[in-house]
Amino acid sequence: MILPPVGLLHYLILSVCLFSFGLLAVITRRHAIGILLGIELMLNSANLNLVAFSHFLSPDTVLDGQVFALMVIALAACEAAVGLAIILRFYRQAAVTDVADAKLLKW
Amino acid sequence: MTWADWFDQFAFFLVGGITLLGAVGVVFAPRIIHACLCLLVALIGVAGLYGLMAAHLLLGIQLLVYAGGIAVLILFAIMLLHRRGEGGILGGTRNLIIGLPATVIVWFVVAAAVIFSKWHYLPGGATVSPPAGSNVRIIGELLLSRHLLAFELVSVVMLMALVGAIIIAREDKQPGRNTPGTTGVSPVGSRTGETPVLPDGVCTGGEDESE
Repeated sequence: MILPPVGLLHYLILSVCLFSFGLLAVITRRHAIGILLGIELMLNSANLNLVAFSHFLSPDTVLDGQVFALMVIALAACEAAVGLAIILRFYRQAAVTDVADAKLLKW
Repeated sequence: MTWADWFDQFAFFLVGGITLLGAVGVVFAPRIIHACLCLLVALIGVAGLYGLMAAHLLLGIQLLVYAGGIAVLILFAIMLLHRRGEGGILGGTRNLIIGLPATVIVWFVVAAAVIFSKWHYLPGGATVSPPAGSNVRIIGELLLSRHLLAFELVSVVMLMALVGAIIIAREDKQPGRNTPGTTGVSPVGSRTGETPVLPDGVCTGGEDESE
């Protein structure tokens, strides 16, 4: 059995799968934290893309893709902190965590 | 194929499979805390994939920030929020009926775009793996020279997010607001108005500072 060597396509397809699962979690979960988990998964797949491009498409001394991934990780930390603060606030006011109940701003 | 190729194949499919299993768990775990633990597995798997691509600094940072920081932060939030017997975590069949075809369509479109693209390989890409730790110096120099503006902007954004998270999650000072959760387990911030305020928001802010 001859498998193609592990290359860029392997990582990109894996990243697409991760992104799809993240999207599915965002769509199907009703718990607000479940949606946050899906978003984290999608950000990770984007990071995987950046590192894969940096590793396979450019020489090993050009690491701009990894710097981008670092920025994404820092912003994901901010996003998680603010998102959890909003969820805590919402839970205190409504005592539920189902996002279907967040209809205060719904017209 | 040489043994190194076989090792590459084995390591990639093992770590990638673990990552995908974690991702499946994030979607389909019936309880939210199990989904968060599955996310932890997926994050560690992604860190392993960084290691396979010789991004050793990112491996460490992924483990520290994601697995050690964000996942634990989300676990804390779940423990603050979770009430046993709170059903309806998966959105029934309706969300799945809408979500599954949409996700499959997205998967096929992006996968086709990935497969049928002609990637422009620069010379010297993925020839030799650098020794472990050698890219830390390069990334540090890049962060403080070419990407200095982005670096500083991220620090400002993190400060804003810290302050914003504290302000958003802080308990309201004025008495007389409606305290939710009079039935069942009382939620976290339901205190009567006159008690001296040591608000829970401070605790939440403390979690942020650990990032």
